Amino acid sequence: MRLVWISALKDLKALRRDPFSILFWMGIPLCMGLLIHLVFGGSEVTPQGKLLIADQDNTIASKLLTGAFSQPPLSKMLVTETVDPAAGLDRIGHGEASAYLLIPRGLQAAFLRNQPFRLQLYTNPEQRILPNIVEQSLSMMVDASFYLQKSAGGLWRGLDVPTAPDAQSLSRMSLGLFQRAEALGKYIYPPLIRFEVETIQEKRQNPNVAALFFPAMVFMTMLLMANGLSGEIWRERLLGTARRLATTPGSFAAFLGGRVIVVVLVYSLVASVGVAATRWLGGPQEGHLPAAAAWATLTGTVFYLLLLPLSLHASSERGADVMGNLLVFPLSLIGGCFFPFEMMPHWMAAIGRLTPNGWAVTQFRAILSGSAEPAKLAVGSACLMAAGAAAFLLSVRRLRGVFLA
Amino acid sequence: MIDVDHLRKTFGDLTAVDGVTFAAQPGEIFGLLGPNGAGKTTTIGCISGLLTPTSGRVRVMGRDVVNEGQAARRLLGVAPQEIALYEDLSALENLQYWGGVQGMRNPLLRDRVRKVLELTGLQDRAREPVKRFSGGMKRRLNFACGIVHAPRVLLLDEPTAGVDPQSRVHLLDLVREQARAGACVLYTTHYMEEAEALCDRLAIMDHGRVIAAGTLAELRSLLGERDLLRLTGVFPPAAARAALTGIDQIEVVQAEEGLLMLSLAEAARKLPSVFSALASCGADVRGATLTQPSLESLFIKLTGKELRE
Repeated sequence: MRLVWISALKDLKALRRDPFSILFWMGIPLCMGLLIHLVFGGSEVTPQGKLLIADQDNTIASKLLTGAFSQPPLSKMLVTETVDPAAGLDRIGHGEASAYLLIPRGLQAAFLRNQPFRLQLYTNPEQRILPNIVEQSLSMMVDASFYLQKSAGGLWRGLDVPTAPDAQSLSRMSLGLFQRAEALGKYIYPPLIRFEVETIQEKRQNPNVAALFFPAMVFMTMLLMANGLSGEIWRERLLGTARRLATTPGSFAAFLGGRVIVVVLVYSLVASVGVAATRWLGGPQEGHLPAAAAWATLTGTVFYLLLLPLSLHASSERGADVMGNLLVFPLSLIGGCFFPFEMMPHWMAAIGRLTPNGWAVTQFRAILSGSAEPAKLAVGSACLMAAGAAAFLLSVRRLRGVFLA
Repeated sequence: MIDVDHLRKTFGDLTAVDGVTFAAQPGEIFGLLGPNGAGKTTTIGCISGLLTPTSGRVRVMGRDVVNEGQAARRLLGVAPQEIALYEDLSALENLQYWGGVQGMRNPLLRDRVRKVLELTGLQDRAREPVKRFSGGMKRRLNFACGIVHAPRVLLLDEPTAGVDPQSRVHLLDLVREQARAGACVLYTTHYMEEAEALCDRLAIMDHGRVIAAGTLAELRSLLGERDLLRLTGVFPPAAARAALTGIDQIEVVQAEEGLLMLSLAEAARKLPSVFSALASCGADVRGATLTQPSLESLFIKLTGKELRE
């Protein structure tokens, strides 16, 4: 045990003489956080897309339909632009908008006569969310027009004339609509029994985009650190100190144990900074921060231990670096450490959540949001520690057997 | 003491050490002399526990290095051929670390570190990072880390390689001091003059084998007080050999087209006869070097070749 401490002390002294390495690791989440904050402003941001509309009908009905897209909340997400049909088709073909809606001539007439009619909606396959919103909104408007037609279809027919309706017709329609509304009032006005819902728990802020990204960034830093720190074992070989250690009574297990202690300290420092930055970006409640930092430290240390045998199996320092990068970068990308799972296709997110880092990120976010299950976390922690211990023993064996040759 | 008995170490098809046997006593500096690739470092590696012998036995103060490895390593101090130091740490921190790894504790460790820093002349730069040290200073510290725990057996693998003359003299004095203090020192080198000046006993190695062993006097006696004459030029080998047979107490060690090596007593007196004989067989002598009996000449006599760098 004393040798573990001596080894840890030696590495801490080396770190003290090279504080930039720690500052560098701490700088990654801080820089990422700052950039995300600057880009997204730290506030709730709604993605905005473009809806192209070609209105060949140009009637009251078609104006009502297109006008609906200019009303909140759709207007927050979509900018509408009127185009002619050829330009609309060309631009959606080049991916310049989220969707293109073509309203052919005859919409109003078909509505008034209760006849089938066909609207044409083209969506951009490169986008996922906004075209879907347009499609769903349009579908809801079509449903609404159906019920409007069913409830007051006869009254609208006064509009089905080639010229503008006269004052008498308009008065008759207005009166009819008023009477129909009164008759339906008992169904569409608020019911007599009113429910009042009072939220007792503290209001939680909606997570903003920065807070959504940042946990992923913290874990990307953890993975990059694991790769860098595990590769440092090669310095011991290049310096000749690993060979010298083999000629002493000191054990490699104690030597590596000391390194692991320092790695835990470095991770806890970086994780604390990362979690604090998450809080700054409007993320979790303060009470969850220590648990989140502890989880990031534990998982980061296990990532380090898992990458260590890989590094020791490489034939050179450069080889270890390449092998580590080949593993770390794909894992970061698919495992939710670069893009949040919410931004991935469902199938990819499902695979990503099964990766070690994907699982760790999911738990990390659960801890931050206060929805983590303690029992599940305890089992997960035990599994992580077992995997880390196995990797540790493998590394000691490898260090002693082959790394010195 | 170090007891090496029929040590053999192979790496695949390559036999690096082939049946090496020797014993070194406490207070003695035992030299392993030989060219690069002779098997000296592999022998040291097997003694220090860095390598596992393929066969044979190595004991350090009676402890088997394979079966009682940790106990044997507690008695050992090693100064490896390559400098093995933490460059980011200071000399003081390096010594504290390696002393601690050897099981030393304060205040003994602190006293010993101070003493070793004084011995190696590094006390003034003790708190500086090693990366700022010169090559010679690093060599001295490399040696200091091997002796910080006052080992009973000291393995020094070419400790003066690449060192300036001043630092070399300093290091050799330090080695002698360790032996005087009772340590058993095993010293490998390919510098003949260093081995002659330092070692009480020597084993000369080549191609993984000990080709001669004994005190310096015993080894010199193998030469029979003969000088070594090295001639360069153009020689018909067979004719040269035949022409030289008439000269008393001459031995042709090596005869090639451009090189002729002769071992002979009182060479200076016989030089005219040698040149005359060679001229009679059509040889063209362009250069001559006469060497007094030494380990260098012994090595050439034993192996038929010069000691390689």
